[in-house]
Amino acid sequence: MPYNVLIVDDSATMRALIRKILAISGFNLGRCFEGANGREGLAILEQHWVDLVLSDIHMPEMDGNAFITALKGHPLWKTIPVVVVSTESREEVLAPFRRLGVAGYIKKPFKPETIRRQLSTLLGEVGTPDAGELEGCDF
Amino acid sequence: MLENLKAATFEVFESMFFLFPEPPLLEPPVFKGPGVQAWVPVQGPRAFRIGLTVPQSLARKMAANFLGLATNDPTVEQIRDAVQEGANMVAGSFLAREGASPAFHLQPPQSRLLDLGSPLFRLSLNHLLLLVDDDSLEVFVEKI
Repeated sequence: MPYNVLIVDDSATMRALIRKILAISGFNLGRCFEGANGREGLAILEQHWVDLVLSDIHMPEMDGNAFITALKGHPLWKTIPVVVVSTESREEVLAPFRRLGVAGYIKKPFKPETIRRQLSTLLGEVGTPDAGELEGCDF
Repeated sequence: MLENLKAATFEVFESMFFLFPEPPLLEPPVFKGPGVQAWVPVQGPRAFRIGLTVPQSLARKMAANFLGLATNDPTVEQIRDAVQEGANMVAGSFLAREGASPAFHLQPPQSRLLDLGSPLFRLSLNHLLLLVDDDSLEVFVEKI
């Protein structure tokens, strides 16, 4: 079953990079939606079925905290797994996200394999990456 | 503090951009021609910003390597965005290494295009100067 993914990050290049990693990771990718902030993320959730959310924290207009709080407070969306992808690694900053029930955390900079491993943990085995694409590759 | 800034810079450039900064051996790096400056404002008990100043040639390499493109392919927006994201990751890594209190909040990154040869351009007073291949790199932390 292909999984629909929503990537919420104010950096278009970071969204493009994550999308590329998803495409080459062997992940059964359905539709891939992108939002530049939490408000755009919520608008996409209103319109489309999403199986997994990858969200940044620091974004203009609506940040990751407000976005994930809204998502986890919604009766239909609260079970969607959310993985925070952020430059933040201070435990005091991340603790509120754990309390909100995020499923995982990926610190930037990251390796493509880290994303693949997270997806595998959350959604089951995600297939075989394109030969040579991920191993030894840093981003 | 500068050691943590250096370690954060090396981590980000090596792992995200496949570029390897090194300290200049003799003369300090020269900044000239068109460039990009990107920074992340930090708000909290003290307001400051953490940023990068790079010539266009290095900015282009950063964007190309980040997105897996040929060096001449990135658009101006992709170049600015890649340098902003670089500043963002350096800032996040630096604050973690410094053990900064959560009272310090990273703000969304900003950037500007600038002429590094202009008499109006000044390097920061509190910075690291590095070389990446033949390109100059300034990493700075300064009060807002």
